[in-house]
Amino acid sequence: MSVEAALGHLHSGDTATALRMLDAMSPCADGTIEAARGTVLLVAGRGEDAVQAFRAALAAGDNRPATLLNLALAQQSAGDMLAASTLMRRMAAAMPSWDEPRLRLAEALRASGDKAGAERAYQQVLELSPARIEALIGVGILLMQRGDGAAAQLPLLRACSEMVQQATSQPQLRAEAWDALGLALMQTSDFAAAEGAFMRARQMAPARLEFALHAADAARANGNVAASLAAAEMALDDDPLNPVLHVLRGMLLEHAGCRSDAVDALEAAVALTPDAPGPNAVLGGMLARSMRLREAERALRAALANDPGNPRCCNDLAAVLMRMHRPAEACELLTDLISRIPAPAPVLCNLANATASRGLQAEAVALAREAIAMAPHDMLPWRTLSGVLPYASETTITDLVDALRGCAAQLQRGTTPASVIDPRPHRRLRVGLLSGSLRCHPVGWLTIAAFEALDPATFELIAFALNAGTDPITRRFRSRMDGWHDIDALNDTIIAERIAAEKIDILIDLGGYGDNGRMTVCARRPAPVQIKWVGAQYHSSFIPEIDWMLTDRWQTPPALAHLYSERLLVLPDGYICYSPPPDAPDFAPLPALTNGYVTFGCFNNLAKITPVVIETWCRILRSVPIARMLLKTQQFSHPETRERVHAAFASHGVTQDRIMLQGPSQHRAFLGEYNKVDLVLDPFPYSGGLTTCEALWMGVPTITLPGEFFAARHSVSHLSNAGLADWVAADLESYVAQAIARASDLPRLAALRAGLRAHVAASPLCDAPRFGRNLGAALRQAWIAALQVSDPATIEERAA
Amino acid sequence: MTTLLATANPDTLASRVQEMIDAGRIGAARPLLAALRRMGSGSDHSKARIGGLSARLLAREGRLPEAGAALDDAIALLPEDGNLRKQRAELRLQCDDKIGAVSDAADAVIFDRTDVGAKALLGIVLIELGEYADAIACLTEAVSLQPQRSIFRQALAQAQECAGDRDAATGTLRAAIALAPSMAPLRTALMLLLVRSRDFPAVIEAGEAARHDGAADACGFGLLGHALSSLGRGSEAALSYREALKLAPEDPYVRHLVSASGALPAAERAPTDYLRTVFDGYAERFELHLVSLGYRVPGLFRAEYLAHPPVPPGPVLDLGCGTGLVGLVFADIAPGPITGIDVSTSMLEQSAAKELYSHLHEAELESFLDSNTQLWSLILAGDVFCYFGLLGDVLTRVALRLVPGGRCIFNVELSADTVQPGEPCQLGANARYHHAPWHVEQAAAQAGLTVRSIRREGLRTEGGESVPGLIVMLERG
Repeated sequence: MSVEAALGHLHSGDTATALRMLDAMSPCADGTIEAARGTVLLVAGRGEDAVQAFRAALAAGDNRPATLLNLALAQQSAGDMLAASTLMRRMAAAMPSWDEPRLRLAEALRASGDKAGAERAYQQVLELSPARIEALIGVGILLMQRGDGAAAQLPLLRACSEMVQQATSQPQLRAEAWDALGLALMQTSDFAAAEGAFMRARQMAPARLEFALHAADAARANGNVAASLAAAEMALDDDPLNPVLHVLRGMLLEHAGCRSDAVDALEAAVALTPDAPGPNAVLGGMLARSMRLREAERALRAALANDPGNPRCCNDLAAVLMRMHRPAEACELLTDLISRIPAPAPVLCNLANATASRGLQAEAVALAREAIAMAPHDMLPWRTLSGVLPYASETTITDLVDALRGCAAQLQRGTTPASVIDPRPHRRLRVGLLSGSLRCHPVGWLTIAAFEALDPATFELIAFALNAGTDPITRRFRSRMDGWHDIDALNDTIIAERIAAEKIDILIDLGGYGDNGRMTVCARRPAPVQIKWVGAQYHSSFIPEIDWMLTDRWQTPPALAHLYSERLLVLPDGYICYSPPPDAPDFAPLPALTNGYVTFGCFNNLAKITPVVIETWCRILRSVPIARMLLKTQQFSHPETRERVHAAFASHGVTQDRIMLQGPSQHRAFLGEYNKVDLVLDPFPYSGGLTTCEALWMGVPTITLPGEFFAARHSVSHLSNAGLADWVAADLESYVAQAIARASDLPRLAALRAGLRAHVAASPLCDAPRFGRNLGAALRQAWIAALQVSDPATIEERAA
Repeated sequence: MTTLLATANPDTLASRVQEMIDAGRIGAARPLLAALRRMGSGSDHSKARIGGLSARLLAREGRLPEAGAALDDAIALLPEDGNLRKQRAELRLQCDDKIGAVSDAADAVIFDRTDVGAKALLGIVLIELGEYADAIACLTEAVSLQPQRSIFRQALAQAQECAGDRDAATGTLRAAIALAPSMAPLRTALMLLLVRSRDFPAVIEAGEAARHDGAADACGFGLLGHALSSLGRGSEAALSYREALKLAPEDPYVRHLVSASGALPAAERAPTDYLRTVFDGYAERFELHLVSLGYRVPGLFRAEYLAHPPVPPGPVLDLGCGTGLVGLVFADIAPGPITGIDVSTSMLEQSAAKELYSHLHEAELESFLDSNTQLWSLILAGDVFCYFGLLGDVLTRVALRLVPGGRCIFNVELSADTVQPGEPCQLGANARYHHAPWHVEQAAAQAGLTVRSIRREGLRTEGGESVPGLIVMLERG
């Protein structure tokens, strides 16, 4: 047994055997064995043990500079950056012609985030050894991180060429150089060359995941996805066990717009390397983009199990949990993340959204404002603020308008806005629907019946859809559409180009600033007439490119019209058409008649339930002493959230036994719970929307208190449209008084309930043929207005 | 830095392939199977396992012969593997090899007498073979061993119904529903059984129960609508069809029914798939049904044809020939061989059985006229144009395929109530179009055809009332 033999095991990657062999040797006088142990321990990632070993070697008389430098590296590995950099600096000063201490110092400084110091140290290395490859790569990467891709290319190209000249046998290092060069070329939009550079990197290190991900990005940017995909598939035929090739194929499939196949390809990668975090992290991100949330959670948790605390995975998982209505867990993850790393604005935005969903509206607004202060010219923080403000009681209409204006101001505009091509006023129009919610989602339930009833002879419908799955509402949309574009994998510019290429006359946005909304596309003006309808329709968009807002006289009475930047396209009945689910349970008789007490209910999102709302409900409950209240929302699956809400009621004198907090159910069971509720109390300022319609369908009316902005008036619209305008309160006092009065008149409530479903079914709220005609007339009105001629007949003549 | 190398072992990989195939995720299964093949140890067991998985994948992709070959190879390696036998039995059933399927299913039972799935599979295969008593025995045993498996009960009910014991079948399905009340396919199976018994009140009761329990799927709502409609409860049927359409929006049959109820804007003509669906399911009883309706159209065509001078000798085309009733009345007077076309395979089979047609084609009417350039002396269209809205296009196509002096005889339905003044046609509640007489004449003129005669007649009887229509004869000048 010799030290050389042990180090041979180390070089072949077997640190355990190497260490065992060294441990079995007797100590020698010159410290060689201890130094070798230190090296093995350093490679094994046991920094502190390595420090001890190197110190022992030095104490035993090992005075080689390499041992001293290794001690510095071990200190760095053990987290003692100060000691490490001090020792490296001392060595550099003591041995001015040796480049190694400077290079190690540069690497250590780069790793610790001291970019300027690192760059200086690399330059010193290059002054000593102009062809030192690691330094060339390091400088290149730092320049790239500064955003100077053009300057970075020079040292990186030199590194690549030096490696050829030096015939270096370090494929990993060569691959790093080519990969870094590829990234620098991407920064200067030299996509074809970048693709070539990444290909070289992949050839040298075929098992490196990042290189494959970079290659997929370059292929997409270079418009070369199809060819790259074919190449990846051919490579897989030869090497089906290579997980990196499966990941590459998956990413390319996603770029090609085949997300479901892409997920399958990544599943293959995960199955081949079940314990590696990388493929699971990539898969989790893709599943989240596909709204396959449960699977996304599983993949991201699997990634985190093997790479605990990975910031990207934590943030992605938090976003997934948010979409699964588990904001408390999302908050825990994000708060932990922020305690570990300096939080970028997007993380704060995620945290703001999660905080609002927990019912902590004021805190959410503060977080969103903090994010804006960090990144005032990014759209995301403004969008977040616009999204959380409507939930908060303290929000004024000025706050909301300012936030929406701020958001609109960050949007990039298009260079070639669409204009009217064929100005015949009464021709068949091509209407585009832009949305990530053409499915079982409020957008779906409130619009599908309208589109189905829109006359196909006069309106062609073309969907530009994100996240379209196969649920019954999506299938209804697909059946009505004359054209369908899945736009998941496309960026805003390409989506806008596609809409323009489809010669869409009227584009209806059904996403707003919400999750998966694409106001960024609308701002590019891909259609000559653009209308905002359901889908994060909190209020006006304040985007000049949105011409109209589809509304009704209850949502936007004339006195509030000045609060909108769009022209108001006022429908004669309500602004939506509710399509009741075929599997809705039968409604039950008034539960108070058998219970002996009244049960108030609210099944709205907890984000809408503010401290002021709870205080108001408590006033009502104190006045109807034996009444109870059933609150049902996804967030109540979290025990601490339930405790906090119980405590909030208790602080206003309403005990826990009177407040029932229920977590999520399947949709049918969710509707069935209305059979336990006598009347609904609407939250404010953000009112119920679909929830109010569903309650009506289950025979339960809602008392509402409208506000000024759009989202504060949904219930007014739905109730009035269903003939229940007398359930709208004029002010807070009247809201309380009305709740108390109605709770005391059970025969009247029972009679109303018995006939409510039939009444609602026959009302304009559910009258699809009538809505279809009205919607058709409104769209025609918007079209004719765009032609800027008041007399359609004249246009007809001219066009003829 | 992330370096990735495959670390999965063949067993976990094989399980993953199986999961992916079962989930229908072929895109994930295929590359994993390729990886598994590369990893394969070369043992018989390993090869047979890969063969079984390959066969599953191929079968999912519709490549049945290749799947069969893969399974044959796998079974040659492991001849006493019950799972492979069951798999091949299912595949053979798909390929209509009933004898082979029975042999494999029986072997699977012999290899493992405790395998309840194998017994049930044998029962299902025996139904296909027409061995109902044996099927009932196998399935009864399977049900008694695993009473929670509703699919076994559903198969048992099928066997009982095939054996002529509808009461037992109904009882079996009701028991299955009690055990698994949320399973919509069981509700549908029961409703279908009751429809076949023409017990419409019971269908409605079962449908309402399914709706109440949230276990009605599109088919359930459709059957409920059908039963309501059969009992004359049209407006309730329309509501039921609307619910069916929400759950099966891509179903042209349901869409057409909903359009007919006025809840959706009507299309210009009934979809081909609708006709195929309606008539494929109806062929057996079609003639009986028409006779019971006092169906007069073929006879009226014959009378009209004979009342005019003969057409030039030449071939005859029967558009939408159905079960061949028009062919039957023209067999002795046709000016040449008769060719029939229809969208329904079952209808064509019945026409073929009459041995009156020289050729029969399964084709959609307009595509046939577009693609087949042959000229005809006589074109007949009995009860066909009631599935078209505007007639201009179809008559133009007909005109192009008539010899000079050739004629076309067809009928349309009239309804003074439903066609608004000025409207050329309107979709009626019975899902057929009603045409205005002026539109028929205008469309004929547009197509360049001369009206030789247009006669108002009662076409059939519905609910004791005569259904009014027009018998029209056009001629190419």
